[in-house]
Amino acid sequence: MPDSAKTAEQIITEKHTESLRQGFHLWPELKNGVPPALGDARWTADLILSTWLQAETGTPPVNGLEHRVGRSGGGFDVLDFKFPSPDRRVSSPEAIALSIPLNRRPYDRRIEIPIPFYGAGMSFGSISEQVMDARAKAAKAWKTFTCAGEGGYPDSLLPYKEHVITQVATGMFGVREETIQHAPIVEFKYAQGAKPGLGGHLLGDKVTSSVASMRESVPWVSLFSPFPFHSVYSVEDHKKHVDWVKTINPEALVSVKVSTPTDIDMVAVGSYYAGAHIIHIDGSYGGTGAAPEIAKKNIAMPIEFAIPKVHRYLSQEGIRDEVVLMASGGIRTAYDVAKVIALGADGAILGTTELVALGCTRCGNCERGRGCPFGLTTTDPELSQLVDPEWAAERLGNLYRSFQLQLSDLLRRLGLASIRDLVGRTDLLTYRRQAGAR
Amino acid sequence: MYQRYHLQTSLTPEIAPFPNRTRVEVNKPGLALHLLKELIRYRGNLKVALSRPCVYGTFSGPVGGFAPVNSKCVGCLRCTIEHPEMVQVQLNPEHQRLGDSYLTPEHFDTICYEARTGRIPVKGAGYRGPFGGEGWDGMWTDMSEIVRPTRDGIHGREFISTSVDIGQRPPFLNFAGPGAASEQSVQTFSIPLPVLFDVPPASVLSAELLHALAQAAREAETLLVVPARVLKQFALQGPQLVPLASREDVGALREIHFTPPLIELDGWDETLFREIRARFPESTLCLRQDFAARQELLKHYDAGIRVFHLAANYHGRGREGRFIADLIREAHGAFVEKGCRDEVTLLGSGGIIAAEHVPKAIICGLDAIALDTALLAALQAQFVGECLEGKKSRFRLPRRLTVDWGVQRLKNLLATWRDQLLEVMGAMGLRDVRRLRGEIGRAMFEKDLEREAFSGIEGYAR
Repeated sequence: MPDSAKTAEQIITEKHTESLRQGFHLWPELKNGVPPALGDARWTADLILSTWLQAETGTPPVNGLEHRVGRSGGGFDVLDFKFPSPDRRVSSPEAIALSIPLNRRPYDRRIEIPIPFYGAGMSFGSISEQVMDARAKAAKAWKTFTCAGEGGYPDSLLPYKEHVITQVATGMFGVREETIQHAPIVEFKYAQGAKPGLGGHLLGDKVTSSVASMRESVPWVSLFSPFPFHSVYSVEDHKKHVDWVKTINPEALVSVKVSTPTDIDMVAVGSYYAGAHIIHIDGSYGGTGAAPEIAKKNIAMPIEFAIPKVHRYLSQEGIRDEVVLMASGGIRTAYDVAKVIALGADGAILGTTELVALGCTRCGNCERGRGCPFGLTTTDPELSQLVDPEWAAERLGNLYRSFQLQLSDLLRRLGLASIRDLVGRTDLLTYRRQAGAR
Repeated sequence: MYQRYHLQTSLTPEIAPFPNRTRVEVNKPGLALHLLKELIRYRGNLKVALSRPCVYGTFSGPVGGFAPVNSKCVGCLRCTIEHPEMVQVQLNPEHQRLGDSYLTPEHFDTICYEARTGRIPVKGAGYRGPFGGEGWDGMWTDMSEIVRPTRDGIHGREFISTSVDIGQRPPFLNFAGPGAASEQSVQTFSIPLPVLFDVPPASVLSAELLHALAQAAREAETLLVVPARVLKQFALQGPQLVPLASREDVGALREIHFTPPLIELDGWDETLFREIRARFPESTLCLRQDFAARQELLKHYDAGIRVFHLAANYHGRGREGRFIADLIREAHGAFVEKGCRDEVTLLGSGGIIAAEHVPKAIICGLDAIALDTALLAALQAQFVGECLEGKKSRFRLPRRLTVDWGVQRLKNLLATWRDQLLEVMGAMGLRDVRRLRGEIGRAMFEKDLEREAFSGIEGYAR
C-alpha cells in the first residue's frame, strides 16, 4: 500500500515496528554495549539479547553472549553437563533423535513431537491475537503444539487446530464443546506456577470488548479464574473431568497442569490414576500476565526441585513409563530444556522464552494500562499491531531451530543418540555454585 | 454485633521526592537531527514525525524527549530498543541509595507502593530475583492443588482469621469437680492481625512519629512498643501502648495512668518483674531479650515468663550472627520439646521487612511479629549508612511528615500485608493464622529441597 493511502496511525505503527525490529537486530551485536537497565538475575541482559539473536538467526550466538545460564545463583544456573571423552561422542549428528511421545499409555491416540518442547498456555487477553496466531503458525511449522490458555479460541486459530492445545481452567472462560472437539490435547489447569493456589487474574484494562466477547463477560471488568476447581475435591472428582472431556472428544489426550507443592509427587500419581496422559508441572518461577509479587517468589517450589521428586516417585510406583512428564516455569534456554530432561522430565514447555524471542524485555508491565509496550501481552488495538504474525512466527521458528541445534549438539557430545535417553540422567550433570551470584 | 476486621485504605502519595528506579538520558543533538530526518521522511506529517516510542508518557512533556519525565518511566526500555544511539535508560543511582544493604531499594519500592496504595503489588512476567539464598529467600511456602479454606474467594465472603492471642494459657483444663473447671491462670488478649509496631529508633523520636505510630496502632487494633520514659516524655496514653521498661524506667512507670495490656521488660530483672507485676496485676508481662539459647529461655519460663519478645537486629541477625529464621525455629523448638509451647507466646522482631516474611516467621514458630524498619520505609525515612540497631542507627524522616499522613501510610501497609498473608494462607488452604504457627511441614527450605533433588550430582556437597 502506498504511503499516501495509509492513515497516520498505520504509518506510525510501521515507523515504530521498523525501529523496534532494527533495535532487536542491533542490540545483540553489542555495538552499543548492553542496555544498562536490561535484565535481572534470572533473565540476564545476555540471555535476553542472545534469545533475540537466536530468534533472528536460528543459531546460537558466537559473539560471546552468554546464552546458556543466568545469574540467579541456583537451580539451572548451578547445573552444567559433564561430557564424556570425545571418543564416546555420536559420530553422525543427523542420527540424533529429538522427538518425544505425548502419550505413553498403551491406548489412545499416538502423538509425537519432533522437538522436546511445546508452547505454554497463554490466553487471548493475556496476549494479543497476533501473538497467538504466530505461536500457532510456528507450532504447525514445527509439528509441535502451542496452548491457547484459558480465554477462548479465536477463529484465527482454526487452521492450526491440530497443533493447538485448549485449556480448561477454573474460570471456564471460552470453554465450549467445539473447542474441546477441535483439540488433540486438552489441558486441565489446576494451578499456575507464578501464582499457585491463587487462581487466574485478568485486570480490567485488558478486558476489551473482543476479549469480553470471547470470554462471555463484561468489557473492562477484571476477570478472576477462582482457585481451585469448585467441582474437584479429590482424584475421583478429577477423573470425572477427564471422563467428561473424553465423552466430548474421545480422541483427545489429557494433560493436567499443576503447580509444585510439597506433595507434588502424590499429585502426579493422582493425576496418572485419573487418566492423564501428560502431567505438566509448572514451577514457581514461571511467567504470568499478572500475579501478586508475593506469589512469584514465595509459594511452591522451583521446577528444578520438583522434577526429580516426581520422576523418582513415578518410577518407584512403576508408572513412569506410562505417563509423559512435561515441565515449565522458568525454562529459558536450550540448556535449561536439556537440564529439565536430565532431571527427569520428558520435555519442556516454553512460555516467557517465546515472548522474549518476540522482543519482550521482561519489564513486567504486562498488566499495566494498555498492556505490553511491545505489543505482546496486550489487547490494545494499536499496540498489538506492532507484532506481525508472519514475522513473529518466523522468529519463533528460528528460536526452535537454534534450540534444536544446541540440543542435538549436546546429545552428540554426551554420547546419546536420542533425547529419550537423557531422561533422568542426573549422572550427566555437574553442580557448581556461581561465584558472585545473588 | 459481629464486625469483620477491616482496615480502610486510601491513596496516600509520597510527601518527599521519591527517586524513580530508572533515569532516561537522551542525546539531544541526536534527537534534533532525528526529528529533522523524520520530518523530511514523512513530508512534514507532524503527527507521525513526533510520534514517540513511550506509551507511558515519559516524552509527553512540552518539549518531548528534550526533557524526559523520569517519574513516568517504567523501565520498559522500548525507547532505547528503538533508538539505541539516542536514548539510554540507566538505573538511577539515587534510587540505588534507598534503604541499606538489607532493606534494599527493591524492598523500599515495594513498601512505598504498599504504603501509598494499600494494594497488593501485582506485576506481569515472572520472578526476577535470585534463585534462593540465605534467610527468608531460601524458604518457600506450600500450596494445595484442591484444598481451599472455603470456596468463596479469600477477599470475598470467605473468612480467614488473622487474629492471634497474646498471653499465658494453661496446658490443659483442670476440674475441681464434675463439670466445674478450677480457676485457671488464663491471661490472654487477642489482636486482629499478627503484627505489632516495635520500638522506634532513638534517632527519629518525635511527637509526629510517635503519634502517627500510636494512632495507627489504635486504629489497626494492634500494639506499639515504646520505652516507658518516652511515653512520659511525649505524654502518650492508651491501651494500644506497650511500655518497655528497664530499671531506669521505674519512675516513668509510676506515672502511667492506664492499664497497658502488655508490658515489656527490657532484659531479665527479677526484682523489676515482681514490682511491675504487683503494680500492673492486669497487664501481661513480656520479657524482651535477644534470641537466647534454649536453656536461658526455659529458665525464664520456669521463673514465670509466658510472653517472650525475641529481638534480632534490623538485618535479622541474632546470637552468633545467625539469621532470625533459624533462631525462631530453635526458640519454638525449645518450648515444643519441653511440652509447653501452647502456654507461651513468642513475639519476634528484626529483619522482617516484606509481607512474605510474616507468614514465614510464623511458620518458623512466632505467634506475632513486631515491625521496625519497614514502618520507617513506609514513612519515607532515609537510612543513613547501614542501619543495624535501634540505639545506634540513624534515620531521617521527611520534614513534612504529619500525623494524618503517617497514620494512613501505616494503615495502608498493614492492610496490604494482611491481604498478602491471606493470599499465602489461602493458597495453603488454612483458615486460621494460629494454625500456621510452627507448621514447618507447610514450608520448603532450599537446602532440604536441593539436597533431595541434587544429591548424587557431581560437585554437590552441602
